[in-house]
Amino acid sequence: MSDVKGKVLKHGEQTRTMHWLHLICFLILGLTGIGFYWNIGWINDLFGGPANASLVHRWTAVVFTAGPAIYILLNFERFSKFIDTISTFTRDDIQWLKTMGGYIPFLKGKVPPQDKYNAGQKILGWVVILGCLLFILTGFPMWLWRHAVSPAFLDFCYTVHFWDAMIMMLAVLGHFFLAAIHPQSRVEFSSMMLDGYVDAGVTAHHNAKWFANLSKLE
Amino acid sequence: MVSILAEKGGITRRQFFKGAGVLAVVAVVAGVFAKIGIDMFKVSDDYIAKRAAGLYTLDEKMAIRKSHENPEIIQLYKDFLSPGEVKPMTEKAHHLLHTRYGQDIPALLEELRHYQGEAA
Repeated sequence: MSDVKGKVLKHGEQTRTMHWLHLICFLILGLTGIGFYWNIGWINDLFGGPANASLVHRWTAVVFTAGPAIYILLNFERFSKFIDTISTFTRDDIQWLKTMGGYIPFLKGKVPPQDKYNAGQKILGWVVILGCLLFILTGFPMWLWRHAVSPAFLDFCYTVHFWDAMIMMLAVLGHFFLAAIHPQSRVEFSSMMLDGYVDAGVTAHHNAKWFANLSKLE
Repeated sequence: MVSILAEKGGITRRQFFKGAGVLAVVAVVAGVFAKIGIDMFKVSDDYIAKRAAGLYTLDEKMAIRKSHENPEIIQLYKDFLSPGEVKPMTEKAHHLLHTRYGQDIPALLEELRHYQGEAA
């Protein structure tokens, strides 16, 4: 680890608020979805029965969609930087993937310097963006146009929505493990969930490329 | 004092085009999808309106449009359901004209068998 002293502001207030909002919405959507898809009584009962669980699912989806949309409109600069970072894949990112950032014990090799997000986080960023778009594009027709569209199209929406949910839940579980449980990576937990700051030494080690371009705030 | 580091403000032209590009692609995909959906909704609405209009037209062309003015129904009441007069909701009419479903069907069949002799 580096001997650099100080703190780095990694995620601003609005980003952290949006992340919390999306996390809470995702948990409610996942829970209600599992409840009424497999008709699990006790989960449905938490929301007042299957019909109410479905209602909660749909209106939470509105917040799930509107939250990031408002965030992007208010923080276009932040969003553009994020998209630029996750869409830039260099040899260092490929090398990071080959060694899996050193998180997997039997994969040996030098871990190359990373940007604000490492290659794994960049891939997760795309999975979340595309996954959420698929949720929105298949979810709203299932709610608003179910009486107008053909049964075949509706069935297609249900199938895509279901498998999208399965993939997203696995991705979020993996994200949770690395962000909150894994001893090497959970050091950044508070940067998104609490005050937005990461130890400068940790950042200099994990995100060396990004760290090199930071400027002193005070 | 702990020094605090942060990203520099402002974005490059490349970052702007990437951000705007992703938003534009999302807007186009969502717009096309919404257009297809709204068109499907309109087609469905048109179909329902035409179907309703067809049913009303058929109904308007019928010679007898109200059951209480149907001579056969009037005759049925006079001869059998309320002998000598046209009186709806008699005990017999209630039992014979109101159907039942599911587990109540055997009892209904039994009742109909009871009235079968009278009808003959």
